[in-house]
Amino acid sequence: MIDTGEVSAFRDLHTRLGDAVEGAVRGKRDVVDLVLVAMFAGGHVLLEDVPGTGKTTLARAVAGALGGVSRRVQFTPDLLPSDVTGTSVYDPQTGQIRFRPGPVFANIVLADEINRAAAKTQSALLEVMEERTVTIDGVGHSVPDPFLVVATQNPIDLDGTYRLPEAQLDRFMLRTSIGYPSVEDELDVLRPGSGAGRIADVRTVSSPREVSSFSARLSLLHVADPILQYISALGTGTRSDERLRLGTSTRGLRTLVRCAQVYAASKGRHFVVPQDVQDIADPVLAHRLVLTRESVLSGVTTSEVLADVLSRVPVPKPAAQ
Amino acid sequence: MKREAVKFAWVSALLLVGALQLAQAWDGAFVYFGLAAFSGFLALLLKRFVPAGLAALAVMVVAMAGGFLMAKGASPDRDPTWVLLDTVPRLLTAARPAPATPELLVPGLLLIIGISTGAVLSVTRRGTALFVPALGAATLYVAAALLTTGRADSYGLVALTMVVVLALGWLIIDRRGPVVPPAVLATALAALTLLTFVLPANGFEPRKLVTPPVTDIAISNPLPQLASWAAQGETELFRMRGPEVPVRLVTLSRYSGASWEAASTYGPLGVVDAPDLPLGGKVQDASVDLQITGLQGEWLPGVGKPQAVSLSNAMVDPDTGSLVVADGLRTGLSYTVRGVVETPADNDLAEAQVPVDVTKYTALPRLPFTLADYARQATQNARTPYEKAVALEQVVRLNRRPDAEAPVGSSYARLETFLFGAEGESGANAGTAEQFASAYAVLARAVGLPTRVVVGFQPVPEQNGERIVRAADATAWPEVYFSGWGWVAFDPVSGNGSGPSAASKREVLNRLASTTAKPTPTSLASVPPLVQPSAVAGDAVAAPAAPKSFPFWVFTPVVLLVALYVARTSRRLRLRAAGPVGAWNEVLDALQLAGLRPKPSRTVPDVGREWGEAGARLAVVVDEAAFAPRPANDEQSWRLARQVKKAVRRKASWWRKLVWPVDPRPLFRR
Repeated sequence: MIDTGEVSAFRDLHTRLGDAVEGAVRGKRDVVDLVLVAMFAGGHVLLEDVPGTGKTTLARAVAGALGGVSRRVQFTPDLLPSDVTGTSVYDPQTGQIRFRPGPVFANIVLADEINRAAAKTQSALLEVMEERTVTIDGVGHSVPDPFLVVATQNPIDLDGTYRLPEAQLDRFMLRTSIGYPSVEDELDVLRPGSGAGRIADVRTVSSPREVSSFSARLSLLHVADPILQYISALGTGTRSDERLRLGTSTRGLRTLVRCAQVYAASKGRHFVVPQDVQDIADPVLAHRLVLTRESVLSGVTTSEVLADVLSRVPVPKPAAQ
Repeated sequence: MKREAVKFAWVSALLLVGALQLAQAWDGAFVYFGLAAFSGFLALLLKRFVPAGLAALAVMVVAMAGGFLMAKGASPDRDPTWVLLDTVPRLLTAARPAPATPELLVPGLLLIIGISTGAVLSVTRRGTALFVPALGAATLYVAAALLTTGRADSYGLVALTMVVVLALGWLIIDRRGPVVPPAVLATALAALTLLTFVLPANGFEPRKLVTPPVTDIAISNPLPQLASWAAQGETELFRMRGPEVPVRLVTLSRYSGASWEAASTYGPLGVVDAPDLPLGGKVQDASVDLQITGLQGEWLPGVGKPQAVSLSNAMVDPDTGSLVVADGLRTGLSYTVRGVVETPADNDLAEAQVPVDVTKYTALPRLPFTLADYARQATQNARTPYEKAVALEQVVRLNRRPDAEAPVGSSYARLETFLFGAEGESGANAGTAEQFASAYAVLARAVGLPTRVVVGFQPVPEQNGERIVRAADATAWPEVYFSGWGWVAFDPVSGNGSGPSAASKREVLNRLASTTAKPTPTSLASVPPLVQPSAVAGDAVAAPAAPKSFPFWVFTPVVLLVALYVARTSRRLRLRAAGPVGAWNEVLDALQLAGLRPKPSRTVPDVGREWGEAGARLAVVVDEAAFAPRPANDEQSWRLARQVKKAVRRKASWWRKLVWPVDPRPLFRR
């Protein structure tokens, strides 16, 4: 069980990290928080957005605030799996075959335009995301902890791309988008001499060790049974919706519980409330749902369906324990 | 604190004015009502320990119980519940002002206690602070106006005082700006109601809306008994002490053409409405002690118009003043009667008029022409009603002799025989007081004089401080009603009687004699009587009708409302004890009552946020209580919930606010 002191310490850390990142990414605190939630929950983030909205800046700022290593991989159709994971090379000086780690060996990996790479390369990355090890020539190489992949995907200009299959989308803990900033924030960004987008100015306010220690502890945060029943009811709700070909999986719901724990702690609570679940449901679940063909043609989105389900399923009534 | 004191002083002043105004409907009840006006402060004391609604309920229950006990004490032999339920119709039909007996005070006191409780408790709240006392004062004023038909405040001074006090309250206490619209509306309505009672003093009589609590008693008519009394002669009937006044046994005002009938509905003495024709302008009180020694039957001898009888089971017909004892007279019964005797001077009557719209006292169903014509001829020279009355007295008396052996009856046929019968015919020109009085009454009615017949006893001389009344003293006499002077007795048997002086009658007769020719009947037996004589005592003792059972179902809504209120209050107490979750349920109740029930898929913070700071804070506490591993019990939650509730209530429409405390819907919410 996690106590209030620990939670408030986490909240402080979360706030510090958020503040530091916000120095570079203006006016997107909610997205920053979500990315941090994914990091503490041990998951990965898929950012779906048009170019130029700060995806890369966000990933690098998080890495900067964390004090960890950040790498970036630009996915292209000719990118090979070994370009991502690393490869064994012969070292003439020692006369031995040595593993040269690829860009995934970092705390924050920015996989830019992941849908442009071939399926083989994508699955190499997804495997690392799931296994957290790279196996080359029978030898396992662990990636550092914490390990957060921020993949981006351009929802327009889809010619010559390989869309991530549903099963693989499921590997991402959260899918969200950054979107354009508000007018004031945009002016702030545009103003000459603005600190926005300047990664060098992001202060390092934590360490990978601190983050991973919290990450383990937060999974002990209290989730009351009515909340679990509510989450289960939401899952059933998506599975029985006629507009969906595929509802959310049990893994998806489990992820939702995990995210809700971190999200609740980030709000300074040592327990999860229904509002946490509702707040976090769309980024966690929407990309795991698959629409029927008719729904796609009628222009419905999975977020809309999920919103319907949320407004249909009654929240657990407050009851004395 | 000072503000509170001003508020309470204000509401006390308002209640006191209202209570004292209402007290005018009773005879000497100012002290009781003045004290009752402050009973609301009792609820205020209780409110420290229990919720306001419960405190008010407790005070009302105590008051009702007190009323119940008072009713029980007042009439120990009757079912107290019945007595209590009966008090309102009884009060509405009581004399004005009502005597301050416990039974009659109960409804007024309960009304004041209820209003006082509501008003005092309401000033401790903010929103309704000035509205409820205003409504309460208006209710008291209207009640007073109803009970006194507006006479309590004939010049509108009390109404003016109330309006001034109300206005002062609004000016001094409530400075929140424009008065809330419902208050304005209610005040306007109240003012309008007040006006309708203040302005026309002629019209509305609430007593007419209520059936007085009367008992139907069909009692044999004692007129035919006059003959048997006359035959009994010296048999002693009763003894009396007091002034020399005629004793009345029963007054008969209905004539069917075949016989005279007594009233058949009787109410408790002293608490029934005024008579249909008002008392005369000059009256005297007369009080006699009587002791029954031989008289039988249900009729109770009395004097004048009875005001008080020392027997608790005596009942009276308010119009005639006839007294009855339902279970009959018995030998040895002694009691005191206080009555009012009308004593007009001779001069008063000379020019007095008679009311024209009293068909009850001038009704002569199917009057034979002979009688009508005889009456017309007998009075053709008389100018005034008094002259007609005196002329008829002489016409009936002259050439006729009292005869105890004469046939009984007062049908048209018997009266025609009595008046026009040929010599030798049985009962011609001879009769008992029954025929003399009946003939006079029929003839007087025929010329438009409101007349009735009284059966009673002649005044007897005093012996050793006692007057012994014997059977031979029994007699009957007619009475004529003169506007402004009341019922005046005439004596067609002897010409003397207790009515106008002989000198005055002689003066009238002398004046008439110069022009009057004695009327003679034109056609005697040739005119068949239109009404066949029937058995006179035929309508003797019928079984008294069973008293109508009180429609208790009219209280069902009240009981239902009280039950709902209690259920809602106990739910609130339960929720209050249930900590933050209970507090949240209370908020949900309020939202439901206001018609703003949130969708079940909305979370607590989402709903709470809409109701400001308090709502947001409450939501945090509630979520913790519901979902945290070891919730801390937060004492603040109920206070926050009440703040939210207030905010919610402000949004509710007026009719939702009206049914707020008794709306059962939260009871069924799961």
